[in-house]
Amino acid sequence: MKLEIKNVSKHYGRKKQALQDFSLTIENGILGLLGPNGAGKSTLMKIIATIHKPTNGIILLNKNNIIKDANYMRGQLGFLPQDFGVYPNLNAFEFLTYIAAIKGVGGNALKTRITELLDGLNLLHAANKPIGSYSGGMKQRVGIAQALLNDPKIIIFDEPTVGLDPEERVRFRNLISDLATSRIVILSSHIVSDIDVIADQVAIMKKGALLAKGDLQYIIKEVTGKIFEVSIDSSRFSDFKHDQFVLSATRSQGSITVRYFSENPVEGSIQKKALLEDAYLHLTKS
Amino acid sequence: MKPFLNVILLDYIIRIRSYSFLIILYITTAISYTFVPEPNANYSTIRIGEHVGYYNSAWFGYVTAIMTSIFLSLLGFYLVNNSIKKDLNTKVGQIIASTKIKNFTYLLSKTLSNFLVLLTIVFIIFVMSLVLFFLYNDGFDFELAQFIYPYIIITIPSVFFIAVLGVVFEVLLGKYSIIQNIMFFFMFSFLLLYSPQKEIEYAYDLLGSKIVIHQMEETVRSILPVEKADTDMTIGYVLANTIQAKKFKFNGVEFSLVFMSSRLLWMILGILLIIILSPIFHRFTVREYSLPKKRTKSRHIEHTPKEIILSTLPIPHTKLSMLPLIKTEILLLIRKGSLWLWLINGTGIVLLTTLNIKTAHQFILPILWFLQVHRLSDITSKEIQNHTFYFISSSFRPLQRVLTSQIIAGCCLMLFLAAPLLFRYAIEMSVLEILSIALGAFLIVSIAIFLGIITKGKKLFEVFFFFVTYANINVIPVVDYFGGTIKNTSHTLIIMCMTIIICSLSFLKRKLEINR
Repeated sequence: MKLEIKNVSKHYGRKKQALQDFSLTIENGILGLLGPNGAGKSTLMKIIATIHKPTNGIILLNKNNIIKDANYMRGQLGFLPQDFGVYPNLNAFEFLTYIAAIKGVGGNALKTRITELLDGLNLLHAANKPIGSYSGGMKQRVGIAQALLNDPKIIIFDEPTVGLDPEERVRFRNLISDLATSRIVILSSHIVSDIDVIADQVAIMKKGALLAKGDLQYIIKEVTGKIFEVSIDSSRFSDFKHDQFVLSATRSQGSITVRYFSENPVEGSIQKKALLEDAYLHLTKS
Repeated sequence: MKPFLNVILLDYIIRIRSYSFLIILYITTAISYTFVPEPNANYSTIRIGEHVGYYNSAWFGYVTAIMTSIFLSLLGFYLVNNSIKKDLNTKVGQIIASTKIKNFTYLLSKTLSNFLVLLTIVFIIFVMSLVLFFLYNDGFDFELAQFIYPYIIITIPSVFFIAVLGVVFEVLLGKYSIIQNIMFFFMFSFLLLYSPQKEIEYAYDLLGSKIVIHQMEETVRSILPVEKADTDMTIGYVLANTIQAKKFKFNGVEFSLVFMSSRLLWMILGILLIIILSPIFHRFTVREYSLPKKRTKSRHIEHTPKEIILSTLPIPHTKLSMLPLIKTEILLLIRKGSLWLWLINGTGIVLLTTLNIKTAHQFILPILWFLQVHRLSDITSKEIQNHTFYFISSSFRPLQRVLTSQIIAGCCLMLFLAAPLLFRYAIEMSVLEILSIALGAFLIVSIAIFLGIITKGKKLFEVFFFFVTYANINVIPVVDYFGGTIKNTSHTLIIMCMTIIICSLSFLKRKLEINR
């Protein structure tokens, strides 16, 4: 599987430019998409999912232009939108059967697949209750299940872990980890640790443009050896923030432990192992 | 005071910015254009026997004012009676409930914002009446007072009370929009039929139109000999050539102090109703509207989920059959609304079976179909309301499969309800009637789908269906979409053509949306 995004731009009206000449090639594996609000992640995902059309550019899936032939993509797509909803009067089983029909899949295997998915996502006990009575996390898991119904070759998850408790987040990661070998999985999240753990490749976006793309080591390389921690008096924090690129701060009994990026660390600082979050913050804030 | 005014103003802005409001304004402008017919037109809106008024300022002012009062009392209610529900559905209500705002202040702000919405429409009709006066000028002087008085004394108090009723019905019957519709339907019918006998009784006329009608009838009576005094008033769209009608000069009404006070009292009564209802307002503690009462919240129970490996799960086959889609669409239609509505439907089906076939066809069928208004109105817009639009638009051939299944499901529901009547006609071998009913079902479902697609909401269809049903019950042939009164092949062919055109437009619009 090979997805090529070539010079894609998306304008909303004259002023708002959600994507600017965006290019990216994705092959089998999990691609983590990171970026602040308004970076264009959701727009990009909706364009790949054939919901929106780009203003310019093309997208090729195995050399097929999906802008012209959207059904080629739709036939092998699993998509979890960020702001999706459900029909509250249907139960999970009915809803998934409906989505399967919309996707054009069925047959004897469908019922088993739905049951297995519901079981794997810890929803089987509530499968016969109307979805309107589900909690936010349960609805999110129904959304994840529908994305996986048709054995998709391209899976797009837009903020899949929103509303999931830590245990469910771990279960989700385990669930999709074995998909990466023969499929393209695109995953966006604000929770950097989710991407850190499961993504093979990371793409960082800002203001509709691609800032960096590569494996974790490549992304982190930028900041490796430049991440430090120092404990300072809380009264000095404001000045410190002004002088240094602060990544995070933890308050404890009158002092503050500051994690920061610097090529010239202040005295008393301890060098720390660089993390994806450090690289992300450095790239998007600098 | 300023925050209170801001709440009203912002609520008003939110509502007038909606796409459906824009469409309603277009429709209002178009309808108000017809309130006073063009001099050569083949219809009349207000006619006293064979008489219509000279096109002077008073005729324009009073005719448009009472038409607005009647038209907007009916349409306006359906337009504004979801303002609290909107806050509930968008969860803004929960934020409001956690603020210091008093129930009375909140309800009053909703009432005033409803009023402003209706007032906007009144203003457009008022401007249109001025435009029409200059357009069809019969050589009479322009008298602004003859335009302003009737609007202030008749129309504005009526629409204010309708704005109040919108809130009152929501507070009392917020969960049950279908009961609101039915109750208002009866209430409006009563208001139209109310016939004051004495001077003082005009004060009880909420719509305020009876006193003007009485004055017009009196004017015609005064110019006719007693034996020829045909002064029966007809209001509404009646086929009759305006230029051939006899003319009389209408100089407006001198409103008595009692009548003018009564109009003010209606407005005060409205505010009193809000004060009385404030203590029982639910303040958003009710559960979501879409859920029946008894259902309990699903809790996360102790359960060890199975560890599954996705790559080993059975793979479903490609199956492009529309049957599962149609089945689910029917299921969604059936499950919408409470069980007791199905009991009413059951009663309707029994009446279709037992009553005289003409009565069943002409009156019971349109009412029974109208009772499905809440099911049909969001048949296509439910995807927007429930945020399932992305699933549909990223699905395989959504246009051909999903939209078609929605049309088929809607028709199945309507035909199921009409089944006893169809069966009776089948026994009588009345093919035209069967065809008319089937096409009627198809047409009304197509309109529901089309209006849902273009407005992305359900209000416009609800208002439209209400008007059509009301007109059909009053046996107005032009709106007979199901062959209740007109039984000829050419009418059936017109219905068929309309259905095809509306369906094609729906497919076209949906295609544009998907391709966008």
